[in-house]
Amino acid sequence: MIRLEHVSKVYKTSTRPALDDVSVEVGKGEFVFLIGPSGSGKSTFLRLLLREEVPSKGRVYVSNFDVARMARRRIPRLRQSIGCVFQDFRLLVNKTVAENVAFALEVIGKPRHTIRKVVPEVLQLVGLESKADRMPHELSGGEQQRVAIARAFVNRPLVLLADEPTGNLDPDTSQDIMLLLERISRTGTTILMATHDHSIVDSMRRRVVELSMGRVIRDDARGVYGVGR
Amino acid sequence: MRASFVFSEVLTGLRRNITMTIAMILTTAISLGLLGGGLLIVRTIDKMQDIYYDKVEVAVYLTDEVSANDKECTQQPCAGLRSQIEQTSGVDTVTYENRDQVYERFKQMFQAQPELLDLTRPESLPATIRVKLDDPERSDVLIKAFEGQQGVKKIDDQGTLLSRLFDVLNGVRNGAFAIALVQALAALLLISNTIQVSAYTRRTEVGIMRLVGATRWYTQLPFLIEAVVAGLIGAILAVVGLGLAKTFFLDSALAGPIKSGIIPAVDFLDILYVSPYLFLVAAGISAITGYVTLRMYVRL
Repeated sequence: MIRLEHVSKVYKTSTRPALDDVSVEVGKGEFVFLIGPSGSGKSTFLRLLLREEVPSKGRVYVSNFDVARMARRRIPRLRQSIGCVFQDFRLLVNKTVAENVAFALEVIGKPRHTIRKVVPEVLQLVGLESKADRMPHELSGGEQQRVAIARAFVNRPLVLLADEPTGNLDPDTSQDIMLLLERISRTGTTILMATHDHSIVDSMRRRVVELSMGRVIRDDARGVYGVGR
Repeated sequence: MRASFVFSEVLTGLRRNITMTIAMILTTAISLGLLGGGLLIVRTIDKMQDIYYDKVEVAVYLTDEVSANDKECTQQPCAGLRSQIEQTSGVDTVTYENRDQVYERFKQMFQAQPELLDLTRPESLPATIRVKLDDPERSDVLIKAFEGQQGVKKIDDQGTLLSRLFDVLNGVRNGAFAIALVQALAALLLISNTIQVSAYTRRTEVGIMRLVGATRWYTQLPFLIEAVVAGLIGAILAVVGLGLAKTFFLDSALAGPIKSGIIPAVDFLDILYVSPYLFLVAAGISAITGYVTLRMYVRL
């Protein structure tokens, strides 16, 4: 589902590569933690998959997209098959929960009857069907992140990228979010989650890819965050 | 593309930025109003040329000697002059008016000023050969050929008087166009700035749109339409402004010359005639400015 082949990325403003000869393959439906300290290349990794950046060297594949080489006009297609969740939720403050989720479909031109059907479904999946008409500021952090996940998942993406989705949440709420992501993973969605959260990585016992200074220094099928850290 | 979505985005965009939007609309309106004014002057000049060029003549005034002695233009040098003029290329018709006929015409023209008529003796008026040209603007050929010839006192080209009037009007027109251009530049910068501000205030939305795979058109069209809508509102204001200027200013200020037929009246039909150009220019300029701004300054 995701394949990086000898990918390097050098930013113009930096002498050290953000990613240095990285090769990783992630299969369909896999749940992978991407860990490593700040500046280790996690964000660049995710941005390459979204074609927010183009690698300096190597190739990137997501599903059947040759991400680095595809034409610009096909980028929307790629992004429609990838869902994204962030640490800061990124909800639209002037729209209700349901409108926030619907927005993701409206802007890619989905017909109204489809939107009316799938938005309640996905809100039910994330457990917010009763709060569809609330504004984001009326929700707790965990609930806001659920809305963000609903928005990322509503178009049934093949891949879900989560960049520190629990970074702003307390441990209990984080656990709930992880349960939700796990449920989404079971639908066959590939999940790639960048995180600093030791306890979550340790408790989930999923595949762990660790980056350091732009290199993959560990790739364990059932890993923990780190020994002696 | 969902029209309702784009439309609501445009409305919120215009509302959110209301002060900038108003500034942009007003500047556009002023610029377009001046452009429209210039176009109206062009139209007026065209009309005047149509009216006058039928009537404009070159008058060849003959010397006192000819005026006094040659009533039918049968002697030299009058007869010679007349046939020479008739043979000059570009000459339409030639008529001869002797001193008495000129005096009659003079009396008619100035019947409102009897004291002037009292002062004027027929002897002070010259017999005249009136020449109508195919193209009144080509009078210089005639003047050059006959000026100073024997029997000719003076050649008077009514066209030069008229062209002086046209020069004034053309000057006003050029001035209007020049100010319109400067205003258009200001409008352009305002449009560009408004779009940038608009894009900045909506960066979260646009960021999400990009992320979920909205096409470039979907993300950018609201901004473009926003600019075009503002431009068109500006054009509407400009047309209304031209109408008001006509009703409350032009009509009264030019009432005299219009009534006596010197200047053709600007009517609403004229304004209606130039307004499509204003709308076209407004839509075109704001769309192009918007597009260029989005391409060059806004990373969407």
